[in-house]
Amino acid sequence: MASRKTVRRLALSAALAAAALTLFAAPASASVFGPRAGHSPNADDIRTAYWVAIVVGALLIIAVHAFLIAALVRFRTRRGRSPRRFTAGARAFLRPAVPLVVVAVGLFVFGIVMTTKTREVQATGPEGLNADSDLLAQVNGLSIPADAHPLNINVVGQRWLWRFEYPGGRPGDRIFSLGTLTVPVDTPVLLHVTSTDVTHRWFIPALGGQVDALPGQDVGTWFQADRVGTYHGQSTSFSGTSYAVMRAWVHVVTPQAYKKFIDRKRDDLSAAQDYVARKLGESGTSEAIP
Amino acid sequence: MTPPTAVGSARPEVVTEAVPRRRQAWIEKATSADHKSVGMLYIGAALCFAVAAVAELVVMRVQLIVPENTTTDPEIFNRILSSFGVTGVILFAMPLALGLISYLCPLQVGARGVAFPRLNLLSFWLYVAGAFTIFGAFLWRPSEAGFAAMPPLSEPLYSNTHGVDTWIVGTALALLGFVCFAVNLVATLRNMRAPGMAWRRVPLFTWAANLGGYLLLVCAPVMLAALVMLFIDRHYGGVFFDPGYDGAPLLYEHLAWFFFTGAFAFLVIFAAGVISDVLPVFSRKPFFSHRGAMACLLAVAILAPLAWMRNMYTAPIPTAFLVFAMLFAIALTIPIGLLIYNWIATVWGGTLRTRAAPLYALAAIGAMTIGLAGDLAWSLIPVGWQIEHTTAAQGATVAVIVGASVFGGFAALHYWFPKITGRLLGEGLGKVALITILIGLYAYALMSFFAGVKGQPVDIYKFFAGEGLDGYNLVASIGAFVMAVGILLELGNAAYSYRNGVAAGHDPWGAGTLEWFATSPPPIHNFDVVPDVRSSEPLYDIRRAIRDRTEAWRPPAPATVPERPEPEPEPQPEPVGRADSGGAEGGAPVA
Repeated sequence: MASRKTVRRLALSAALAAAALTLFAAPASASVFGPRAGHSPNADDIRTAYWVAIVVGALLIIAVHAFLIAALVRFRTRRGRSPRRFTAGARAFLRPAVPLVVVAVGLFVFGIVMTTKTREVQATGPEGLNADSDLLAQVNGLSIPADAHPLNINVVGQRWLWRFEYPGGRPGDRIFSLGTLTVPVDTPVLLHVTSTDVTHRWFIPALGGQVDALPGQDVGTWFQADRVGTYHGQSTSFSGTSYAVMRAWVHVVTPQAYKKFIDRKRDDLSAAQDYVARKLGESGTSEAIP
Repeated sequence: MTPPTAVGSARPEVVTEAVPRRRQAWIEKATSADHKSVGMLYIGAALCFAVAAVAELVVMRVQLIVPENTTTDPEIFNRILSSFGVTGVILFAMPLALGLISYLCPLQVGARGVAFPRLNLLSFWLYVAGAFTIFGAFLWRPSEAGFAAMPPLSEPLYSNTHGVDTWIVGTALALLGFVCFAVNLVATLRNMRAPGMAWRRVPLFTWAANLGGYLLLVCAPVMLAALVMLFIDRHYGGVFFDPGYDGAPLLYEHLAWFFFTGAFAFLVIFAAGVISDVLPVFSRKPFFSHRGAMACLLAVAILAPLAWMRNMYTAPIPTAFLVFAMLFAIALTIPIGLLIYNWIATVWGGTLRTRAAPLYALAAIGAMTIGLAGDLAWSLIPVGWQIEHTTAAQGATVAVIVGASVFGGFAALHYWFPKITGRLLGEGLGKVALITILIGLYAYALMSFFAGVKGQPVDIYKFFAGEGLDGYNLVASIGAFVMAVGILLELGNAAYSYRNGVAAGHDPWGAGTLEWFATSPPPIHNFDVVPDVRSSEPLYDIRRAIRDRTEAWRPPAPATVPERPEPEPEPQPEPVGRADSGGAEGGAPVA
């Protein structure tokens, strides 16, 4: 049975070539074929899952293409050759199902494990801020350990801009910023994502996966930036004319700088409100402005 | 099982009162309820919309060729974007499949017609009406609400022009047509198979078509319901999807994704049917495991639509549901992998005639593998959080849809063109087009995929410099242009060959299925005699019976001529171009 041997040899060499290609090409090509570097534990988990999935996918692609090309080259019609007219019984047909089942079950279990892992909020790091969780709410799907002191921030999508609301303002007045989110480094940040108009989607590739911003719903996600810097992303849910420019930046700073930022915002807000109140008092109108 | 009879009554009878008045040819074509005529209308219209889809793709890729391009206004881009998905899937890919199904399935099962011929014709005109509604809106102001018109964006508060209405009505008309088509298809295949054509003997293309019919019956009404609800929201004060009144935008997403996943599965199953019919004929081998492939196709048809929430991993859905979606999406690996194994095993050990049809079929396997492997990666929930709604998901989807409907569709066209027109579809130009599309598609799909992995969202009208996306988009755009050139080449090839192709004879490929038993093109009643089917390759049985009878007869040999040695009865099908089928003579039931 020379041909069966050839089949095995071809399959083996294809698999080996694929494995070798992947091994050697992986470090060099990570920057081309992979996501941007992650800077948060959940982003790192996503990257692990991505690389496993993409290597499995690439192996399948290479194996199938190798067999297609081999079949095309080896079994073209030639003078004096006649086809071997064989068909399969159930056993010959089901033999390749075994590795496929193994791959599928493996990926499925791996997927569940990584899903859980990605959603585990971690405790505050040594350089992080222990936020007083004044608006700590149970966030859908996330598991939050007792010793974590996450910073809760509302993320509000509106066409075509993100608005961020921070804790620590005067009662009734939320400190907010537009477009750029400022957070302390090494601190778990819980995001409560919502929208005021149409569906948007929050996505900063370096800081974790996407999450829908739906009007009237509070959808939770989290990240914990591991170093100071600026990360950007943009909405991935089509929202009309200027959808392509609905970008967001996350400015990760030290806890001291974060406190300073919040204080400045609070002072600005107070000053603005005092100004409005004074103007109202001068003009004597009693229009209801809170 | 009564044996069919070709014997009419003994004496002549007057069977008609009047000869129908002849009408102009185009009126005949447009109003004929013959399933072959309807099939050709579907195929022709679908190929026209292929040109439209290619044009739209080129406009969008020109805009995305360099960062922060200003060639196209965002509004114009969004209008093209909003009609592109419908054009590509509902106006091109699915009708092309439906046309081939309408033409071939009755022939393949030995039926002389379809169960509801007028419903079949109606389905075509509903589809055309839908297409005209969608494209007619370009005279005024078409939808700008994205490829699936997701609310709340498509609610009147955010889309207060009638563009979205035309989109809804047009899409709904086309889908209503598809439902009518599916009713007729399922009824025909259930009831009108030839004697002996048990389900286990039905050709795989027809089996795939049957599953596709059921898929349409299940999935298309769901989308129709969603569109009607959206229309009620927009015009009659409904609040189904209005979050301001406790409506649920997510509900529309569920319904729409259920349909789109079903449509996706429909295209994959259609292409699998084509590949399964083409490869054994050209390898000159029986299909590796007919029943195994039937089971795999059934599994794909059941599992794929159930994985619709795979497109919604980012939505606030309880994790258990997402895990179920992941389970179904990953489980699809097994039947699809077995199908690919089946196809390779069918070619393996055979003698593959490298005509355009099997090459397109092999290309379809390759392209769909790329896309489905991408889909497999995306099925993992954490990976989905990273790459869905980015051009990565788009690249994988494009690879599958183009692999299934362009490669699979063109493989079917090359294979069945002689049946439909009596002429060959140009081989040389076909192969050039194949290479062109293959290179273009791989560049386009792979570069889109990796751009998406870097974080480029779908549907954007521009991307920004300095995000490392320039190279990917440049290559993806060039790939899309190359692919467009290839598709147009092949369409031109088909248009030219329709009148000027090489005459092919009735049975150019020596296939084993019943459609080649009729003449090419078939007469209006398909078969003078319906054969009694005894295996999944009935035409081989017929040929063998003919050979046996003709060889049994010997001319009385003169004593002077020495007897020649008996030629070995070869198990091969007849060589190319030999027409031994059709007509009453070949139609004797095989004993």
